[in-house]
Amino acid sequence: MADLEQYLKRISEHRVNRRGFLAAAGLTAGGAALAACTPGTGGGSSAAPTAGAIEDSLFIYNWSEYINPDNIETYKAEFGVKTVQYDIYSNNEELIAKLQGGASGYDLACPTAEYVPGMVEEGFLAKLDLSRIPNQKHIDPAFLDLAWDPTNEYQLPKDFGTTGILYREKLTGAPVVSWQELYDLTLGKFSGKTVMVDSMGDVFVMPLKMLGYSLNSVEKTELEEARKILLDLAPHILALDSDTYQVKLASEEAALCLGWTGPLLDLRADPATADTGYSVPSEGSLFWLDTWVMMADAPHPNASYAWLDFIHRPDIQALETEYNGYGTPNSEARKLVSQELLDDPAIFPPDSVMPSLEGAEDTSGNNQRLDIWAEFKGAIGG
Amino acid sequence: MAAGAATPAADRERGGRIRSALLTFLLVLPAGAWYLVLLIAPLAIITIFSFGVRAKNGGYAPAFVLDNYAAILGDLQKAAPFTASLSMAIGGTIGSLLIGLPLAYFIATRAGRRKGLFILLLVIPFWTSFLIRTYSWLIVLGPGSLGGFIGDLVGDDNFRILGTPVAVLIGLVYGYLPLMVFPLYVTLERMDRTLVEASKDLGAGRWATFRQVTLPIALPGLITGSILVFIPMMGEYVIPQILGYGRIYLVGNALVTDFLEARNWPAGSAKAVILIFVMLITVTFYTWFVNRGRKGREVSVL
Repeated sequence: MADLEQYLKRISEHRVNRRGFLAAAGLTAGGAALAACTPGTGGGSSAAPTAGAIEDSLFIYNWSEYINPDNIETYKAEFGVKTVQYDIYSNNEELIAKLQGGASGYDLACPTAEYVPGMVEEGFLAKLDLSRIPNQKHIDPAFLDLAWDPTNEYQLPKDFGTTGILYREKLTGAPVVSWQELYDLTLGKFSGKTVMVDSMGDVFVMPLKMLGYSLNSVEKTELEEARKILLDLAPHILALDSDTYQVKLASEEAALCLGWTGPLLDLRADPATADTGYSVPSEGSLFWLDTWVMMADAPHPNASYAWLDFIHRPDIQALETEYNGYGTPNSEARKLVSQELLDDPAIFPPDSVMPSLEGAEDTSGNNQRLDIWAEFKGAIGG
Repeated sequence: MAAGAATPAADRERGGRIRSALLTFLLVLPAGAWYLVLLIAPLAIITIFSFGVRAKNGGYAPAFVLDNYAAILGDLQKAAPFTASLSMAIGGTIGSLLIGLPLAYFIATRAGRRKGLFILLLVIPFWTSFLIRTYSWLIVLGPGSLGGFIGDLVGDDNFRILGTPVAVLIGLVYGYLPLMVFPLYVTLERMDRTLVEASKDLGAGRWATFRQVTLPIALPGLITGSILVFIPMMGEYVIPQILGYGRIYLVGNALVTDFLEARNWPAGSAKAVILIFVMLITVTFYTWFVNRGRKGREVSVL
């Protein structure tokens, strides 16, 4: 039996926090001002000369522990920026709600790409001047010209990842590689041993992809078919849990999980749970992309441009990947990342899988989806 | 001359009254501002929002429609979280009462000099974050401990506590028990012990004494405590999410879905307004029920 300290540590592991709502809200709230109090080490003398004078502070609003602290220090020393204020949000909605409430003072944020078009429409974001971000050229073309931002004017890709199946190979005996397999096992052998993250957009991926539809479908008949699959599954689901699903996998209370890659590195690092596997299901799945955006009223635009260019310098970006364990869209940085991470399909999905991945659109306004989601939640556990 | 002498006295008196009024105003000001900013204003905002529509990119857009209410009141399935919350909160209140009343009675009448120690023990858990205390119940009730132990006893491998309504009830009672115990303790502590002795002298048994003497005296504390635990239980979100494994879908969880996932503030606001009404009706009925036949007797509720 795990003792409480170890348990809480596992819950609060930084990789979970990108999406863990409760964990981030409750356990890491104190870490908000990550680098705020440290004065700049390098002073102004070593800063590279630039056209516009770089302001002496930068205000980033971001997911918890999503930037390598060493990189922040390097940035401060190199550009003579005295303070980098790092505030955290635990979900995209929190970021948007804050902006809708009229918050100002932020320079940069990292929303997930599907939320960017709405933010542009609301006039929250500044157009990026790519000539001031020369390192943008390192971004893999696969992550450019996407539907979220067809002209690459507003977002600079930061990290990407997938939604997929986590499984304990010790219990399943073999990798679980498709949604159909997850469905069959949940209804059969592993009834009551499957966890799903408590996130509407991610859960809908499974039935829609099983049926061969787009995961963004808002077609009435397609959603109705998806509803049937979800209601079939509901009584066999152990938990809807975005915060501690890794704990349930570790204790073998759960054998299967529809979830994210975040906790994977930690589970594998522990000999007792080293058999944890991850697969991007063969029917296809969702890929998310977090992107840097600049606020329309950013008080420190020059420091922001310096940061955006700095963070995509290949050596710096590689350190980011090593730190946060998410895939980088920067192809030059990828060459500098350790082989171990490169070979991990959870971080860098194999080329064979890439074409089957689909980006999410913002479907939160669709009432049919919401009704199905509420019905599904109410049906779990009977 | 006489009139001239009276005027300064009247002035002094008037000045004193003004000063006293000013003092009262200053003393009431913080509480008044608190209520205005943190209670009245949010309530007004929620009510206004509940008649609006979802903005294209989520949030609130001004309008005057009744759709948000019609959607909930017109569809039984959408009302399910309300009935689930109501039964959970009632169950939790009864649970707190069943544990809290004997505990408060014991501390107030039998603990003697260790009274302070017991009160301290009740308060100590508040020094730790509510979230962490709830997480620690995951370990206590988990398959590796109590859940597995009972499972072994009854010989059922699939037996579990976590993820069931029982786990949520345990969490609710645990979380809010002190709010029930303190008001009960205060009323029982002031109870005149000679009344109990008199009741016994007059031939009443233990049960009759409890029902006819102790309980009526404890009633104000009982009502206060019940309301104090019932209201937060109705809106509980964290406990069903963590201990209920997200399998118990209560109003609090429905509100999170509306505000965070659907970003439909008007729909969420309508649910919140309905929740307030459900609580008002329940609490009013409850106070009427326990006070019936006690007309003319003053009962302090809070």
